[in-house]
Amino acid sequence: MRRRTTFIQPPNAPFSPDQAVLTPDALTITNLDAVREERLTVSYDELPDDVRAVLDQYQAVHIRWATEDPYTAAAPFASRISPGLHVFVSGKKRTEGEDALCPLLKRVFWEEVECLSTEKSFIEPHVLSKRFSSTADSYYWSLLPFSSPLVRYIEDNICAKASDKASDNCLKLARSLYADSIDISYDSISRALTVSAVSSRTHGGQGWTERITKPDGNSNDGREGIDQVEVGLLTTEKAADQEDIKMGGLLGVVGRDEKMKPTMFSFPSRHHALPDDATYLTSFPRPRGLHPTMTLSLSPSALKVPPAPADATCALHTYLTLPSSIFGDKHQLSTTDPLFLQSHNLAALRAVFGETDLEAPDWAVDRWGSNWLLELATPENPEEVTGEWNVTIPLHLRYLPPSESGYRTIQVPWPVVFWACTAEGGTKMGINPFDRVNLGWEGLFGPRTMFYQVHPGDDDDAHLVEKITVPVLQLDEEQGLFRSKTIELGTVAVIVLGFVWVLWKLGWVVSLSSSSGKKSKQGKTE
Amino acid sequence: MAVSIFTSPPLIITLSLALRATLLIYGAWQDAVSPVKYTDIDYLVFTDASRYVSRGLSPYSRDTYRYTPLLAWLLVPTTWNVAGISLFSFGKVLFAAADVLAGWLVAKCLRTHYGMDTAKAMKFACVWLLNPMVANISTRGSSEGLLGVLVAGVLWAALSKRVVVAGVLLGLGVHFKIYPFVYGVSILWWLDAQRTSSTPSKDEDGKERTILQSLLGFITPSRILLTLTALTTFLALNIAMYILYGTPFLQHTYLHHLTRIDHRHNFSPYSTLLYLASVDGGHGYGYKFESLAFIPQILLSVVVIPAVLAKKDLAGAMLAQTFAFVGFNKVCTSQYFLWYLIFLPFYLPNSSLLRKPRLGLSVAALWVIAQALWLHQGFRLEFLGISSFVPGLFLAGLFFYAVNCWILGILVEDVGGLSAQKQVAK
Repeated sequence: MRRRTTFIQPPNAPFSPDQAVLTPDALTITNLDAVREERLTVSYDELPDDVRAVLDQYQAVHIRWATEDPYTAAAPFASRISPGLHVFVSGKKRTEGEDALCPLLKRVFWEEVECLSTEKSFIEPHVLSKRFSSTADSYYWSLLPFSSPLVRYIEDNICAKASDKASDNCLKLARSLYADSIDISYDSISRALTVSAVSSRTHGGQGWTERITKPDGNSNDGREGIDQVEVGLLTTEKAADQEDIKMGGLLGVVGRDEKMKPTMFSFPSRHHALPDDATYLTSFPRPRGLHPTMTLSLSPSALKVPPAPADATCALHTYLTLPSSIFGDKHQLSTTDPLFLQSHNLAALRAVFGETDLEAPDWAVDRWGSNWLLELATPENPEEVTGEWNVTIPLHLRYLPPSESGYRTIQVPWPVVFWACTAEGGTKMGINPFDRVNLGWEGLFGPRTMFYQVHPGDDDDAHLVEKITVPVLQLDEEQGLFRSKTIELGTVAVIVLGFVWVLWKLGWVVSLSSSSGKKSKQGKTE
Repeated sequence: MAVSIFTSPPLIITLSLALRATLLIYGAWQDAVSPVKYTDIDYLVFTDASRYVSRGLSPYSRDTYRYTPLLAWLLVPTTWNVAGISLFSFGKVLFAAADVLAGWLVAKCLRTHYGMDTAKAMKFACVWLLNPMVANISTRGSSEGLLGVLVAGVLWAALSKRVVVAGVLLGLGVHFKIYPFVYGVSILWWLDAQRTSSTPSKDEDGKERTILQSLLGFITPSRILLTLTALTTFLALNIAMYILYGTPFLQHTYLHHLTRIDHRHNFSPYSTLLYLASVDGGHGYGYKFESLAFIPQILLSVVVIPAVLAKKDLAGAMLAQTFAFVGFNKVCTSQYFLWYLIFLPFYLPNSSLLRKPRLGLSVAALWVIAQALWLHQGFRLEFLGISSFVPGLFLAGLFFYAVNCWILGILVEDVGGLSAQKQVAK
């Protein structure tokens, strides 16, 4: 098990050597203003049995989570995903017995993750050209407001079984998962699981204060304990090349190095951050009815083409993650009608996966929902735009089961908004020690694409999940006038009455014609 | 009396065509300048399906294409460019032409078989021909106009005793949209009516006829011919389509209607019940009354109404059948109203609605009020997001049903009573 802790200080943040003191036993960090990444690499043999049983079923498993609260995502951790739990699996191997992934997700993350099985709940992101993209075979998303159930799972199932000293470290590490985002990746070639958590702030808001101790050695059976602890204190600087990120600072291995070594390196990066004022807000203006319109309000700065290399072509995109209760009409959105697209400030629908049935109610839909990659229109002269630029995406609600109040609430995560710039030439993104892939949207572009992330605005306590009230059939089975029985009997009674009325009229016609028939016959005989 | 414009059929037909041409041009203009399109979404479904067909693919590659492949084939020209001009609107022109032809057939029947003079026939045919709703629906690209001409054709062929033509058109109509099968029953009953029912239950010698004799008497050459031609057309088309497109054809054109859950709000009185029943596959709620909904609908539109009314007035019986079929259906949307509109020119001239203007106005007013009440509740739900399922939509749907039953009662009385009067007059 290897641990890598990185503190990325914002440019111009104060730093004095006494804030990071390395002793033979530990590195003591004091009140450090930084973004922190905790990364743990665990070999297959060190994993708990139930986790191994699930990993055995796939070639690769990638789990991504992001908080619902706004957070700053600065280089090199600039990439973003919609809030919630994202699960990508690839290369399912034939295994006997039932699918163990969903039960594990429920156990590890949240009991309310509504995952039935990979067959029933996951969607398949079909990509036309597999050559240029790296998407998973199946994908699942769920709302997951907090990472606390994961922390608790690790505390109860892993830390509790460790020795006293290891347990203390384990608990500390577990708590580093109270983060902005968590990535868990496993592939069967490296046979290693990496867990990384990025936190842009501490809980007290004070800056990081922590004692990072040296590895406790392979004291036990080799199934636990950390072999190496690597720490970096870094800051980003302006790179000479626009696709590069340049970093400088101190690196050290706790328990091995006598002092932190200064370092300076740069690398091409897939993900870049736009200036802080390049923001977007997501809203659903009222009245919403059964056809809410997702509105993305972009700041003028978000509309400026990013400083990509001159030969790159850039376009603004959004990637939607919609739970099954809300959906787009793919025929409507894939139109090439310039009037429709202009009126919504859309350019084109680039990809859509998952549940897009236009008629099914939510209870007839098993899979979790759908993803939409839309290219957005930008003004011809971004310099002239002073106010917000609104992009609107017409969506529709599915019918939901009845409720006592006549309403149900659904939660829709904010989409991610980014510029994608495709450059020529041989930029290798993989040498970036902080590279991040398997986010769902980035695999839909070529491997040389660079992404410039627009930040979710945090005006008036923004929450990155929108709540929508859906009107449903109101049924109060206890005391309401309209219970299911009233509706049933009421309908049946009215139908029968109407039916009998029409039959009675028809009967009148029959009696009329038979009596007139008799009359005419009488007339003949007389 | 002023000289009526209705004396000139070419003028009326020209006006009808002009109305549709204007709407087509207006629609093209609106589509070109506004993001809100005049063209119906269904038309995009048809034309997408035609595009698939033109490339040798199945029309069912387009989801929500729930029609016969014939329609997609018919609209293949919409995928053509002739001298740089797109023929995208070809289908709308075809639908509009079809509904004008339907109106012309109606006028022809009124003249030939209902003894009206040209002016009167044209006046009542205008209920269809110059009806803005009909022209609007066709020019927006809904295929109901095509169905209108098939149904009008069936009626015209039956009235003019072109039994084979009637059978073929009927088979085609049922292949297109299922519901015209109800007309088969009334036409069978009406055909050769004079032979079997002029004086019911007794033969010329005054003896009671046995059931077997009645049955044998019922089976006449033209009835057999109609049944055979209709069935042959229907089966031949379906077998051909099945061979070409396999299960997707059956699934989307027919089986879909059996398995769909119709949970969304619509004018049907069953709407709220169906929402309730479809949740959770109906488990936990109730007695599944909704699965019996076809009983009153089929009894009225297929059995009782044809038996009682068809021999008195074929068009009137067909109107009552359609009205019952739509009113008692598990789903009802506004396009279904077009299905019975085609028969109004036959019914209105002798109806109590025109004889007693107060009754006529009440019928019109109540129908409109019932629609308005429902639409208001629908608007609150659909656009304002207010939970108006109960009591709003539930009661509005039942009220609309009640109004429809009342109107159907009047139709039955008029169609049934009128010819009784005629008989007495003889």
